[in-house]
Amino acid sequence: MEGFLPLYWCVLWYAISLPVVAYGAYKMNIMIKENREILPLLAVSGAFIFVLSSLKMPSVTGSCSHPTGTGIGAILFGPWITSVLSTVVLIFQAVFLAHGGLTTLGANTFSMGIVGPTVGYLVFKTCRKQNVNLYLTVFLAALFADWFTYIVTSIELALAFPAASGGLLASLKAFMGVFAITQIPLAIVEGAVSALLFKYIVQLRGDVLLKLNVASQDTIKRLQEASI
Amino acid sequence: MHDLLDDYTHFNALINTSPRLKLLLGIGAMLLCISSATPIAPLFIAISMSLITVVIAKIPRLFYCSLLLIPLSFALLSSGVVAFMHGGGSQLFGMNLLGFMLEIREDGANLALLLIARTFGGMCSLFFISLTTPMMEIFSVLKSLGLPDFLVDLSMLMYRYIFVFIDQAHLIHNAQVMRLGDAGIKNTLNSHAILSGVLFLRAWEQGERLIVAMDARCYDGKLVLMEQGAKAKPRAIFAIIGYLVVVEAIVFLTKDIQLL
Repeated sequence: MEGFLPLYWCVLWYAISLPVVAYGAYKMNIMIKENREILPLLAVSGAFIFVLSSLKMPSVTGSCSHPTGTGIGAILFGPWITSVLSTVVLIFQAVFLAHGGLTTLGANTFSMGIVGPTVGYLVFKTCRKQNVNLYLTVFLAALFADWFTYIVTSIELALAFPAASGGLLASLKAFMGVFAITQIPLAIVEGAVSALLFKYIVQLRGDVLLKLNVASQDTIKRLQEASI
Repeated sequence: MHDLLDDYTHFNALINTSPRLKLLLGIGAMLLCISSATPIAPLFIAISMSLITVVIAKIPRLFYCSLLLIPLSFALLSSGVVAFMHGGGSQLFGMNLLGFMLEIREDGANLALLLIARTFGGMCSLFFISLTTPMMEIFSVLKSLGLPDFLVDLSMLMYRYIFVFIDQAHLIHNAQVMRLGDAGIKNTLNSHAILSGVLFLRAWEQGERLIVAMDARCYDGKLVLMEQGAKAKPRAIFAIIGYLVVVEAIVFLTKDIQLL
């Protein structure tokens, strides 16, 4: 939220996020130079992430919340590209929907665009190596991407406002407790939706996943046959 | 569904003002807001920015008030945590909850007030930017500030497709509700997944066709963007610099005042 972090922390998170996003942009530039068809595809995917995160999720507790959507991005495009896409998405969210803000952009990019997708991507890669079912893998990746996004957000808030008694840890516990109420069920819902989303993509356009190197030909064929 | 602030941007009274000046005013106010040590300057910014947005830019009053509710819940929740976590000074409020002692002390309450004021000041400045400056003008400012071409192109294409997909999501959602796709939590989840899946596939197919359309119009890796927006008028420049200096003076003069 705009104005919540003091100036010092805003600058610090910008300084941490900027090199990562710059490297992502550098990698993206190389990809676009090699294959110019990729720019429109990245653009529509970014727009998809924006729309997905602005849709209200059905939430178990009755309240509606917004998903992060970056777990799916990380699975499809890898963490570097996702960091650039989510930075642009975050700017749009701030300007169009008044979610997040411009001074807190650095901190939001770090939690939602860098740590979340990286964790999701690592979970995805590890599970794929262990030959875990693809849908379960997607579920876990989206789940952990979401949780880590909010753990890092809590850390950012706790660092900026450590408690007088108990210091950083006490403050961290309090912020995590507040976020946990909404985020633990929400992340599970987001994971389930992401897994189902993958099911439809596999059934209808398995070749897209193949092209993005998300799953091998055999896996997709097996899953398509299993669902018929 | 269509509750994007962008809809109001094209019909505000400040549309012919230089986008650089509008960005300077909005971002300048934000930075002063977060560097202020007391709630007075942020409150001043919140009130003056709201007045600028409603009176000068002529944004509908009721709509603007409904916008102010967005930051309210987050600000209250997070400031609540901060208020309870900060001891020091005399106790203002105490409560025994399941064996935990919850109490608000002076320092915590002061910090929480400061945070609420800063959030509102910042959000009002953000609303000013989002309600008066069309995205295309922001892109052209960013481009002239040296952002790489492919990033500007990427953002512009994204901007365009956001509206296409929001419409599609809306249509799919209506169709699902008509067929009782939102009956019960299981159906709702499944509908939501189908919606996102179909949306992704449609987006992907749009993207595949988009490059053909762009090629047909001689796309050479660079979308041409006209420098949009009027030149800055000297009077407006002085007014904005004057405003920022006044706010800075308030930040400086009130830095030692404690409210509670």
